[in-house]
Amino acid sequence: MSELLSNLALGFGVAFSPMNVLFCLLGALVGTLVGVLPGIGTVATIAMLLPITFGLPPVGALIMLAGIYYGAQYGGSTTSVLVNIPGEATSVITCLDGHQMARQGRAGAALAIAAIGSFFAGCVATVLVAALGAPLTSLALLFGPAEYFSLMVLGLIFAVVLAKGSVLKAIAMVLTGLLMSMVGSDLETGAGRMTFDIAELADGIGFTNIAMGVFGFAEIIRNLELPEESRDIVSAKVTGLMPTRKDLIDSSGAIARGTLLGSLLGILPGGGAVIASFAAYTFEKRIARDPSRFGKGAIEGVAAPESANNAAAQTAFIPLLTLGIPPNAVMALMVGAMTIHGIVPGPQVMTKQPELFWGMISSMWIGNLMLVVINLPLVGVWVSLLRVPYRLLFPSIIVFCCIGIYSINNSPTDVMISALFGVVGYWLIKHDFEAAPMLLGFVLGPLMEENLRRAMLIARGDATVFFTRPISGGLLAIAIMLLILAVLPMIRKRREEVFVE
Amino acid sequence: MAEDVQSSRNTPHVEEPLTDRLKGGIIITALSLVLVLATFYVSSPTVPRVMAILVAAVGVGVIAGWVPVRAPQDFYGGLALTLLSIFALVASAELPGQRGFAFGPGTAPRLFAILLATMGAAIALVGVLSDGARIEKYKVRGPALVIVGISLFAMLIRPFGLVLATYLAFMISIFGSKEMRWVESAIGAAVMTLGCVLLFVYLLNLPFQLWPQGNAFQLLFAQFADIFKNVFLILQKLVPGS
Repeated sequence: MSELLSNLALGFGVAFSPMNVLFCLLGALVGTLVGVLPGIGTVATIAMLLPITFGLPPVGALIMLAGIYYGAQYGGSTTSVLVNIPGEATSVITCLDGHQMARQGRAGAALAIAAIGSFFAGCVATVLVAALGAPLTSLALLFGPAEYFSLMVLGLIFAVVLAKGSVLKAIAMVLTGLLMSMVGSDLETGAGRMTFDIAELADGIGFTNIAMGVFGFAEIIRNLELPEESRDIVSAKVTGLMPTRKDLIDSSGAIARGTLLGSLLGILPGGGAVIASFAAYTFEKRIARDPSRFGKGAIEGVAAPESANNAAAQTAFIPLLTLGIPPNAVMALMVGAMTIHGIVPGPQVMTKQPELFWGMISSMWIGNLMLVVINLPLVGVWVSLLRVPYRLLFPSIIVFCCIGIYSINNSPTDVMISALFGVVGYWLIKHDFEAAPMLLGFVLGPLMEENLRRAMLIARGDATVFFTRPISGGLLAIAIMLLILAVLPMIRKRREEVFVE
Repeated sequence: MAEDVQSSRNTPHVEEPLTDRLKGGIIITALSLVLVLATFYVSSPTVPRVMAILVAAVGVGVIAGWVPVRAPQDFYGGLALTLLSIFALVASAELPGQRGFAFGPGTAPRLFAILLATMGAAIALVGVLSDGARIEKYKVRGPALVIVGISLFAMLIRPFGLVLATYLAFMISIFGSKEMRWVESAIGAAVMTLGCVLLFVYLLNLPFQLWPQGNAFQLLFAQFADIFKNVFLILQKLVPGS
């Protein structure tokens, strides 16, 4: 306990240095901005802004990127409530009750509850990351290659189960990602694999190029097809930012449950903020005494998902910082950011660079506090941004993405590759394939291959080793159970219901 | 004719129109035949060759109407992934595989490719056995202009500098939207270009070429030559006779 406190003290010492506070503020602001703007997601933004962090010290860079991530969860709720357009996938569900509240003149209360819920969730998640960091790191030391491999299999299965739509298709996407990650030089022998002797492919296909293509460009192409939505902005001045005592009492339970659910789903690989917000909303509706209130402006319907997505966004750092395994696409980009600064994510970060680890964790708490302070007064500014029409917004996003990709390696080829993946992403949308599992597969591919290779070598070619070693076997058993559950018709039906809502 | 309605017991299902069937079947057959040919140029071709021939047979079946495509979205999506994995098998056929219990560089790519091919086939099978969504129509204008804009940026950034590349990429991609307005776009592009120059060059000090270089056209042609060289390298491996 005292160790935890001293660690946190170290962290706050780092995070409270003026420069780092500034980076944190900057990250949170940019994140909120991105969260507010529909049509540009967190993954594309972080990929876009990677070059901006090149010149920064590593701690500052990571603090800023983390700020963007949880800031976006938060900004998304503002547009959901006021305009009924989710700025982020994570706040789709907040639209349901949040916008209804705004229509009833309770926009202020909805925004305030979202802010308070997010802040509470952020605080709990910060403590959780700090508390679980050390034990999980020591657990990581027990992990051999077989365990790492099984853990990654479990993560991919989670991504499959939590993806919407057909399980078969999600598995196929994971495999596509794995296969694409094999392009490039083999780590052990240096042989070029599927590179066709093209020099630009020798290092493999860049992760940022794929991410920008399928999440940035494809999304834009897709949006161009849809008719421009009429944005019904609640223009009346947002008043009564302080929630009433009744609001607070009504939502306190929902906030606590949302935080708990979000923290759990965030830690699990393949989970993440989107699924957390959906799960929290569904859960609230199920346990409510009068479920019919939901969708008509129930404050719990705002409090629970907003707390859950913030909690999940933060606890997602746990597997990355302790085991070195990115649980979702955003965390995969964080790996990229860390690698640029020469940090190898994994258990050794905490022991070798404690100021980085704890500084980042403490900055999350500061960032959440800032979000509450800066956001409520700035609501007007964010809303006015929404008046920029999409026809001007999308070319700006495109050129910004182009410059971002180009500046990572100063390579025009990278820009071309991401354009290609824009087309691929468009095709995936047309055939109802989800890109997220593919990206996770792509990120974990090289790690999985390496651990599979080593495990097989140590076991002298005996493939049963994955089942006979207790931890590894346990992880695989969970993975298989999950898969069976997901395929069972009854659960499948319920999953569909959740997504339809 | 194309709108034949077959009423099955639970849900009425619409037979795929003939033109769609021809289009889809021909594409599948053609692509798989190219892959069959490509297998003649690698050293261990049997597995991908058999797979490609099977897919080609399915394609012929679609054209002839023997394969009822009840969920085109799934069916073609699955087959495309299968073709992708056959392509990967061909591309990695020359890599040494397992030696004893040590993985070679080719082991993992082949493992993943075979698994993906199986999944793709399963998805396609689902598309034959159960009713499902049709493929939404592809739009051409929006996607094409956006992609042209991005590619133009890639080609221009080195020889012609950030200012021109940004401005032109903005102007071209904005044509992808039907609601484009000339004056507004020209001003928007200028503002965005200025903003990017200030942010990336002056604030962040990234090493960008701002204005066209003296030998800009020469550099542009050199880039095109590079692209052709790469296309040629791929063709050399896959297309017979080159």
